[in-house]
Amino acid sequence: MTDADALDMLAAEFVLGTLDARERASVARRRLNEPELEACIQAWEARLAPLGDEIESIAPSPDLLARIERRIDALDESPVSPQVVALRGRLKRWQWSTGLASLAALLLAAVLLFQPRPAPDASSFVAVFQENDQQPAFLLAVDLENRQLSIRPVTAEPLPNRSYQLWIKADPLGPKPRSVGVLNADLTIERSALRDYDPELLKQATFGISVEPEGGSPTGQPTGPAIHGYLYPTDAEPDGQRL
Amino acid sequence: MADPFGTSAEHPAPPDPPPTTSPLTAAQLGRLLQRVARQDRSAFARLYEATAPKLLGTALRILHQRGWAEDVVQEAYVKIWQKAGHFDARKASPITWMVTIVRNGAIDELRKQPPGTATGEDALERTASSTPDGHAQLEHDQSVSRLHRCLDELPEARRDMVRLAYLNGWSRADLATHFEQPVNTVKTWLHRALKQLKGCLAP
Repeated sequence: MTDADALDMLAAEFVLGTLDARERASVARRRLNEPELEACIQAWEARLAPLGDEIESIAPSPDLLARIERRIDALDESPVSPQVVALRGRLKRWQWSTGLASLAALLLAAVLLFQPRPAPDASSFVAVFQENDQQPAFLLAVDLENRQLSIRPVTAEPLPNRSYQLWIKADPLGPKPRSVGVLNADLTIERSALRDYDPELLKQATFGISVEPEGGSPTGQPTGPAIHGYLYPTDAEPDGQRL
Repeated sequence: MADPFGTSAEHPAPPDPPPTTSPLTAAQLGRLLQRVARQDRSAFARLYEATAPKLLGTALRILHQRGWAEDVVQEAYVKIWQKAGHFDARKASPITWMVTIVRNGAIDELRKQPPGTATGEDALERTASSTPDGHAQLEHDQSVSRLHRCLDELPEARRDMVRLAYLNGWSRADLATHFEQPVNTVKTWLHRALKQLKGCLAP
């Protein structure tokens, strides 16, 4: 199978819906930066859409429109600070998190950055873990200079008899994710968990958080769906504005 | 977005069709989406009334539970509100664009659950029946019959796989369990089926 064939089949299965959570998340991310993949996906959507013709219409609950409108009202009322706008301009790769979800993420990221600590420096990075354009589940802040990290749940909540586990994946580490650590019951993590990693590697790495059996993955690899995030620098001063 | 219908703000908007009568045409839905892109809440309500039953039907077929499906439909409309400006009539019909948003949301939701959540006893039966839809009908009758002709050329099991995946949200693993085949075999069958469909549908 050629690369083009493989890409087309990936797009076809994404549209058909047969990929697992991790593969879907990967395609959803890649399509934003790979026009060829995006074109294949749109072609498959057009090909398969007639299948949906037979789906029966079902009247929604009478209050659903009102619920949606309340959600939209809440969006429209979200304040947009200049810092958030500047941050949004800076973090172009966040384009996949759209609208309110990204606004909420950016606000939270901004809040995080303004937490009591010295002015952001060249070693401050933040990652947003966000699934399916929904609200962010976690925020991860990393100080590369001191290799300290902190994780903060946003919408994520502790799960009974399950643990969240943080993973790192980077080319120099091989093809498989490596465990950074299992989150504590209060969804925090050991601050020095990244001490053995090279800062340059951390900048290029993909981080993932998966849901695992209590105490962490028994196999040493993620056994549940993972949500992913990348580190973004927080030291930029776009348009001369101090973030 | 470009203005595919040539109805930009400086032209008077065409009069609204009377509410809750016949299904809206693709052109009418497209104009509503354009107005939604300009934050027009009444257009959004009209769009919702015209399309929500189809979107809920799509989500419910995949998720089976009404509350869950309505949550997904809710988030789909929030996304439609936010992304209406990205809708491009040259690439998709309005209803296809909206159904795609809700399908993606429903399948993403389903994939968060343990494998097997999707597969109900009645799925195949429901999949076998074809009940053309009167309201918010997808506006491509020719493409519907063409796709069904192409599906009919597939071996039966592969045709069922495509339908169970697209309509009911079954994963490779779900299909493997149901058809009692290894996951890799299912993947191979799916790829063959998809390639055959692509060839059959090629102009």
